[in-house]
Amino acid sequence: MSDARRHNLTVTATFPQTGVRGPSPQGLAIKVEDLRKSYGSLVAVDGISFNVRENEIFGILGPNGAGKTTTVEILEGLRDADEGHVTVAGVDVRRYPKRVKGLIGVQLQSSAFFDNLTLLELTDMFAAIYGRRINARELLGKVDLHDKEHSKVRQLSGGQKQRFSIATALVNDPRVLFLDEPTTGLDPQARRNLWELAQALRQEGRTVLLTTHYMEEAETLCDRVAIMDGGKIITLDTPANLVQRLLDKGFRGRRVEREANLEDVFIDLTGKDLRED
Amino acid sequence: MSRSFRALLSTSLKAYYRNRSAMFFSLLVPLIIMVIFGLLNLGGNHTSENIGVVDLAHNPSSQLIIDNLKKESVLQVDFGSQAAETNALKKGDRALVVVLPAELGAIQTCAPRAVGCHPGPKPVSIPIYTNKAKPQDAQIATAIVTQFFAQSSFVALGQPGGVFKPVVQVLPGQNTTYTDFLVPGIIALSIMQTGIFSVAFAFVQQKQTGVLRRLMATPMKVSEFLAAQVTTRLIMAAVQVAILLFVGVVFFGFHLAGNVVELMLACIFGSAIFIAIGFGISGYAKDEQAVPAIANILVLPMMFLSGIFFTRDSMPAWLHTVSDYLPLTYVVDAIRSVAVNGSHLWNLGTDVIGIAVWLVITVAIAIRLFRWEVV
Repeated sequence: MSDARRHNLTVTATFPQTGVRGPSPQGLAIKVEDLRKSYGSLVAVDGISFNVRENEIFGILGPNGAGKTTTVEILEGLRDADEGHVTVAGVDVRRYPKRVKGLIGVQLQSSAFFDNLTLLELTDMFAAIYGRRINARELLGKVDLHDKEHSKVRQLSGGQKQRFSIATALVNDPRVLFLDEPTTGLDPQARRNLWELAQALRQEGRTVLLTTHYMEEAETLCDRVAIMDGGKIITLDTPANLVQRLLDKGFRGRRVEREANLEDVFIDLTGKDLRED
Repeated sequence: MSRSFRALLSTSLKAYYRNRSAMFFSLLVPLIIMVIFGLLNLGGNHTSENIGVVDLAHNPSSQLIIDNLKKESVLQVDFGSQAAETNALKKGDRALVVVLPAELGAIQTCAPRAVGCHPGPKPVSIPIYTNKAKPQDAQIATAIVTQFFAQSSFVALGQPGGVFKPVVQVLPGQNTTYTDFLVPGIIALSIMQTGIFSVAFAFVQQKQTGVLRRLMATPMKVSEFLAAQVTTRLIMAAVQVAILLFVGVVFFGFHLAGNVVELMLACIFGSAIFIAIGFGISGYAKDEQAVPAIANILVLPMMFLSGIFFTRDSMPAWLHTVSDYLPLTYVVDAIRSVAVNGSHLWNLGTDVIGIAVWLVITVAIAIRLFRWEVV
């Protein structure tokens, strides 16, 4: 039990180097206008527009092939769009991709790191790339990997890998954080642990944009979500409003929702402690 | 050097150093190959001294000397023109070369009361050339041959040293034992293998697993990253060369004649060609399984056609001509010339030009084929 509490405590500890930031003049962390991207005849992103407010957790949902990852990669400066305007952290991404990369933190869907290097060495390497001097130990401690600092990435569990991936995304103390399917493949304990981390990061004043296939995750974490399909945003609102609108249309779930679900049973029986050591 | 470059270089070196299979292939395998071929000693040992005779006299006297020389059981006698024999000497194929001058066997008459003149066979100088790089062989053969001429003089005149006066002249040359041929070959072979395979495998893997993608999501300078990767391989090549040279000299009696700095330069520029080929392959290969197939198509022909283990002398003329233009041929020839002949880089016209041209070609191809992402 003490383990679980430690996790909760460590993830809510704040960054020593994080200054308190007020919202930017417009109050927008991300501004997307009429974004388009095609691969040959395949239209991946078909003219989408949306804004992400400062300090919110914004979710992009959608089935595989909906255009989520392409959208996120354009916002991260990894890919250029065919048309449209994208501003991230106040910088025009299409004109200054490198400058944006310096301001944001990125966790990719399948993040891999050099083999044969320890977490400390990798963290220091990332810091050097950003020209930052950080306390790598402290950063690893923040994502609860203090006892793994001399381990190699391949020795980590799935949840630890994702937390390390987030640690490398934090070396530059970014204003905007991108998490691409951060909990895919994780067990319920590790998933909850990552949610706490995401919430703690928002507490520090960061904006988080995440993609996910898990609706429960979106409902728990996200202030607002956009649902994409076929390269378009088909709806965008708070999870509560989206559910309410569906209910207003007269929708009734096949099964009446009970006070608890199977996941609650699972967590109740197995506890919240992480199982990865 | 910027801090980010230093960080990228030191992490890349650490990762390489800790990669057991890369260390095995780049350091241990070349040593094993060298030990195996060194023990096979395909050059063979010799029990007699090989000498060359240039007969400019072509008369009964010279014929008599040649017949008697042939009777010396410890001498293996070859004949040829002065140019051919001098060449063979310089390559280390002869312990010495004897020139029988045209005036050999001439009879002199003396003016009355001439001092120091004896009527009879005219005294002649017998030029003897030895190879500076083979002092032991030269010493033994010179002793045998001078002794031989002293005896011949005695027989011809009844007093030693009268007729034939051996004049020994030491020529610069090389002493090419098989080890001397092999060690530069193995050095060239291993910088080729390391350059091509370590780059191709690493980058295809980093591309597939997403390592490169993660780095591209940072403001990292691409040039710094590539420079760090290339520098890592060049440092590894230099370490390889140093270890192979050390083992060659200490355990196999390799005759290192050249300047080590120039040798390293030749190796590093050669290595750069193969690193560029590795980058090209990593861009062309669809996945890791494709790497050995593509790489070996390029590596195997060079390994056997560039004169790594055997000289290219026995090749059919057309194949010899083709092999002249292989990058590994230029590299190994340059390394051999510097290490064994003690040549300077600025005197190796063809090889240096060949390396430079191949470097430009392979870098251009690498730039064209290299990809950061799996397409």
